[in-house]
Amino acid sequence: MVTATAERSAASGAAPAGRPPGSGAGRGRRMRRAAQPYLHLAPALAAVLLTTVYPLVSALVTGFRHWRLNESTAPGGFVGLEQYQRAFQDDTFFNSVMVTLWFTFVSVVLSVGIGLAMALILNRRGPLTGLTKALLILPFAVAPALKGFSWRFMMNPDHGVYDKMIDAVFPFAADVNWLGEPFWAQMVLVLTEVWGWAPLIALMLLGGLASVPPEVNEAARVDGCSAWQRFRHVTFPLLRPLLLIVIFLKAVFSLKLFDQVVTITGGGPGRATETLNFYAYTQGFTFLDIGYASAVSWILVVALGVVATGYLIVMNRQEAK
Amino acid sequence: MTTRDLTARRALGGGLHLVAVLAILFFVLFPIVWLAITAFRPAAEAFSTSPVFAPTLENFRAIIGGENDLTAAAVNSVVVGVATTLISLPMALLAAYAFSRHRFPGHRSMLLAMVATQFIPGVAIALPFLTLFHDLGLLDTRTSLVIVNLSLVVPYITWLLKGFVDGLPIEIEEAARLDGCGQVRLLWRVVTPLAAPGLFVCAVFSFLLSWNEFLFPTFLAKENATTLPVGLMTLVRPEGVAWGQMAAAGLLVMVPMLVMSLFVRKHFAQGMTMGAIK
Repeated sequence: MVTATAERSAASGAAPAGRPPGSGAGRGRRMRRAAQPYLHLAPALAAVLLTTVYPLVSALVTGFRHWRLNESTAPGGFVGLEQYQRAFQDDTFFNSVMVTLWFTFVSVVLSVGIGLAMALILNRRGPLTGLTKALLILPFAVAPALKGFSWRFMMNPDHGVYDKMIDAVFPFAADVNWLGEPFWAQMVLVLTEVWGWAPLIALMLLGGLASVPPEVNEAARVDGCSAWQRFRHVTFPLLRPLLLIVIFLKAVFSLKLFDQVVTITGGGPGRATETLNFYAYTQGFTFLDIGYASAVSWILVVALGVVATGYLIVMNRQEAK
Repeated sequence: MTTRDLTARRALGGGLHLVAVLAILFFVLFPIVWLAITAFRPAAEAFSTSPVFAPTLENFRAIIGGENDLTAAAVNSVVVGVATTLISLPMALLAAYAFSRHRFPGHRSMLLAMVATQFIPGVAIALPFLTLFHDLGLLDTRTSLVIVNLSLVVPYITWLLKGFVDGLPIEIEEAARLDGCGQVRLLWRVVTPLAAPGLFVCAVFSFLLSWNEFLFPTFLAKENATTLPVGLMTLVRPEGVAWGQMAAAGLLVMVPMLVMSLFVRKHFAQGMTMGAIK
């Protein structure tokens, strides 16, 4: 698709106004044409270089330097890999790695699983399905920080409206202090993410389901396939590439979780919800250790880079089709 | 199977389906509805679950010019959002046009680099800017927020806009060029109006990303230049959270974005997956 457009434009650009190729004016014109895309790209590239590449390089360098803001406002000497070694020997760092991975795993499974269920339900025509599809986008548009406050309010163990509903259905849960117990505090964070993402994922998957030709499903039905068999052997294989993309995407955003940790748990109880992003934040902000925080942030950059590469490979393969 | 059995089965299936759809609606809407209800509930009854209450504006009065005034944060949010949008859009349009209409060395790698920026964790951007802005005296200014927001917005809307420009018929541009239309005029007079719907969608996204951003203002602008999402933190007090006011402020944060999201609904999935999903 990209190639087609570009070739068309290249072909059209080769002979503007019918000038004979090779003449002096034509060559000048062609030079200008060759430079043109770069001129157009310059402002955006400059902005991206300044706001992403510069800080990345700067953080990489700072990660190798001793720099505590409470000692000096200028960066100190180079310490090699010391701060990376410190991270890998630090239990609280290791804890934040495990918290981040666990959180990512659970929220990916639940968001994609529930999103898929929603998509399958809404793909069938029925009353209210049109309206529901139209409203699926709403949770994602809510600021994550606010999502955090809203769920913290509803999960209040004494008065929260969701707490009351849960207690009504599961009386044994009446004494659970949702944000006071490590496991449940993590689950509340997961819930805020699932609330925002599952409907969005459903929306994406509905787009994919729409491209499954109804005749295929119909043929399978005529052949006596059960609903489960039709899903397993017809819908799912067609949806698989899309699901892969969605899983990668959700994983990336989960690995970066920060906002709700601040607005719901502050990393607690104990360190049960301290994600990597939050850990780097406390090291830099609370302990003013910019050097160490930069090293930690680069560990996160590398981790995300690995996932991102997987994502780009899958996407590339999709585009090639 | 007799016809009656089949009809009964279909009715049962339809009923179950409706229940499932209602469950989805509840899941999606309840937190939003509950926040709205709490915002209008008297602050003293914030935790009440009774559907009957005397609606009041006291929570809104407290956060707009009252005891926990968030007006300054709201103004910051609007100014930063508008500035980010106005700066990003022209850059993105030029870049999107180049990516869409030209093939040049580095085309594919630059396009991929744009996508890759979306995976960078916020701390790795915020920490270096924290010290840089400190040295430049820009810490806690709206300018600093606009600058870092560009890292989120420019690559994202460039990609989104490229999709729109790809869809524009090139014949119009060719005709304009034959009529002697120069490059600048072509972009301004031909491409911009044609891409207007795409520009609108990108403007909405750019404002939305900037409006909802939390990590950057947390690092770089905690007080004077802070935006609404961080401003919410001021309602968390040692004696507890002022939930009524939180709900009222939350409603102000949420409603504009809910409305905007409905306008760009179709493009959300496309933008998020960088065009992999059409």
